[in-house]
Amino acid sequence: MLRTLTALALLGLVAAPATAQTYPDRPITLVAPFPPGGVADQVGRPLGAAMEKLLKQPVVLQNKPGAGGAVGMASVAQSRPDGYTLLVALSSISIIPEADKLFNRQPAYTMDQLAPVALLSADPTVMVVKADSPWKTVKDFVEDAKKRPGQIAYASSGVYGTLHVAMEMFAVAADIKLRHVPFSGGGPAVTALLGNNVQALASGPGPVLAQIKAGTMRPLAGWGDKRIPALPDVPTFKELGYKDVEFYIWAGLFAPKGTPAPAINTLREATKKAVDDPDFKKTMENQGSPISYLDAPEFQKFWDVDAARLAVAVKKIGKVE
Amino acid sequence: MIETLQNLALGFSVALSPHVLFYAVLGCIVGTLVGVLPGLGPLAGISLLLPLTFGLSPTTAIVLLAGIYYGAMYGGSTTSILMRIPGEAASVMTCVDGYAMTQKGRAGPALAIAALGSFVAGTLSVVALMLLAPPLAAFALRFGPPEYTALLLLGLIILAYMSSGAMPKTLAMATLGLVLGTIGIDAMSGFIRFTHGVTELGDGIGIVPVAVGLFGLSEILLTAGKDTPPQVYKPKLRELVPSGEDVRRSIAPTLRGSVLGFFIGIIPGSAHIISSFVSYGIEKRISKRPEEFGHGAVEGVAGPESANNAAASGAFVPMLALGVPSGPIPAVMMAALMIHGVAPGPLLMEQQPALVWGFIASMYVGNIVLLILNLPMVGLFVNLLRIPYSYLYPCIVVFCVIGVYAVNSSVVDVWIMIVTGAVGYFLRKLDFDMAPVVLGLILSPMLELSLRQSLAMSAGDYGIFLHRPIAATMLAAVVMLFVLSLWPLIRGGGDWRSRVGLDEKPG
Repeated sequence: MLRTLTALALLGLVAAPATAQTYPDRPITLVAPFPPGGVADQVGRPLGAAMEKLLKQPVVLQNKPGAGGAVGMASVAQSRPDGYTLLVALSSISIIPEADKLFNRQPAYTMDQLAPVALLSADPTVMVVKADSPWKTVKDFVEDAKKRPGQIAYASSGVYGTLHVAMEMFAVAADIKLRHVPFSGGGPAVTALLGNNVQALASGPGPVLAQIKAGTMRPLAGWGDKRIPALPDVPTFKELGYKDVEFYIWAGLFAPKGTPAPAINTLREATKKAVDDPDFKKTMENQGSPISYLDAPEFQKFWDVDAARLAVAVKKIGKVE
Repeated sequence: MIETLQNLALGFSVALSPHVLFYAVLGCIVGTLVGVLPGLGPLAGISLLLPLTFGLSPTTAIVLLAGIYYGAMYGGSTTSILMRIPGEAASVMTCVDGYAMTQKGRAGPALAIAALGSFVAGTLSVVALMLLAPPLAAFALRFGPPEYTALLLLGLIILAYMSSGAMPKTLAMATLGLVLGTIGIDAMSGFIRFTHGVTELGDGIGIVPVAVGLFGLSEILLTAGKDTPPQVYKPKLRELVPSGEDVRRSIAPTLRGSVLGFFIGIIPGSAHIISSFVSYGIEKRISKRPEEFGHGAVEGVAGPESANNAAASGAFVPMLALGVPSGPIPAVMMAALMIHGVAPGPLLMEQQPALVWGFIASMYVGNIVLLILNLPMVGLFVNLLRIPYSYLYPCIVVFCVIGVYAVNSSVVDVWIMIVTGAVGYFLRKLDFDMAPVVLGLILSPMLELSLRQSLAMSAGDYGIFLHRPIAATMLAAVVMLFVLSLWPLIRGGGDWRSRVGLDEKPG
């Protein structure tokens, strides 16, 4: 039995090398550079499900957390460009190389190692505190933070990760000092807030919506230009007078640079259809992050503009920790 | 209480409906296969098979996935016991005494005790899950970085009790493991450390390739180096069944393992891996026959196997009670629910009673299914050992290579396995123990991250470990255990070298 099994397993591995006509002829891996429970995971898994129906091959999400996403992003950037290893990345993809420049160190990856395939969602981050915390509004929070600088701790998705930069943006604008406790992604950061190990958190709406609805967390403000549809009563920082405090945690699909054009086109086509998949739409709506789809060329433009904006923001925040 | 029973009745009405029952059994079978394959652990298995559940209802989907999960936890021990190849990280400890039992011709009892222990632990922890989930979940969330650090230190001190060899050798091996664990991109700052330009090392050194190399490959090399080939083992039916003494000796370790595993399991994060190491350490420490550990002590199989199964159920506590993805596997299950249109959150138990209680009831059913499935398989698996070594070992090597490659589709992982296999061969020739290396490798990144997070929380003040009651209590236990381990050195007088084992008899 052992030998039969072995032979079968070997057969499976020695699959013919991919050619343009047959792509995809084996399972595709979507790398989410964060632990489960954050935005990349919440977008990536339903996307994989929808793409699988179209590509007729398993599309498996794999979590590769570490260093605010740098570990997973670098691993995809350096993987073989054959269309079988893709990346679901968040806005931090543009921040981390900037931070590397700031510290004058060898970057883990550069943005030109990755080619955009499609933008999937773009939600403003939202600031949440525990429901039993004394702060009812941003004003309460800022006043308290001014009284005890560096005392109020917040969790983030890693040093110069999305949730870190969003919070520091606000802290610079409000002229307060907060204590930063980095975790390896949005999921563990949410758990840290629920367990009272930190007192505040900037998060994509998806990972905290169920907690807000259940009354365990209180949203104070959103980072968007407009209010978040799922949270219509929560003001934006702009409304509250913090003009430049704007941050979106977007999720996009990337392939390593050099992936053959036919494979990229197959993926673009599949993504375009996937975002119209009723199950995918429903899942994204349920978790409070509506789809914002852009195809590769438009996404590249969006990315360039966003990266330039974030580069400015990172310089303004400067070196932290 | 009445309410719980009503809920449970509702749960069983769901879990025993033919449709759901079918998927529970299917999940258990698939899970057992996933667990038996070296390298392919429960997480990889669930992620790979998640897409198959998309056509199912949320309840059947989660029942199927849960079946795969604890099926894999059951199955993980099989290759550890028969071939000294850890199916997944949690069954590394089972390799030591489980395989020693096999070498003594007692593979049958070892497999049976592992299955029985898993059953008891699985069932007990579902009872605990059912009765205590909400208060326990609140407790589990209090495990922030400082508590985590203390828990990991406790795991590290357990090392001292784990090994049967000399203390300096154990410490050297643990250090090797800890050092190996620092390779890769630093999880806090993003600096790349010790990769020497090999980009695949950026993710760090995987636990599975190292464990398979150190335990499995080294064993094959050692056997090949013997003057006389080992005798092919011909099991008799009566030798498959554990003796009364085996069972008696296993009861207490199983119960201790269940409680310990459950409590470690409810803590968010990846700490559940250490539950089997801690259980082994405790069993060895309190055993009246510590000298038998490492040479086929049945307690060394019963304790860790129970602990890792109880931890598997414990991990569902924060998920069901609070909607928190407490570890990689519950998180994948939450994603599955989300894809099915169920939003897991703190209100899940109230809003979806049929789903939650159906799931809990299916865990009772699944444990029984697995026991029925696994006990007869003992005979089948043991018969694999009838294959002559000249055929069996090449097959095992191929299996290891495929399993390790499959986890990350990485050839570098296969090289890591081969190199650690060769290193393990030489180290074992020199009487070094391999388990501390693996535990060090598991603990190192977690310990580093949680220590640095703790200090970020306190702005660099080490007092944080003393101000938090849970952390302080655990650290007190660490200090106590450390002093206890030094006690014989202090009190015994005489030549301390004999106590640390430096003047071991050449063997």
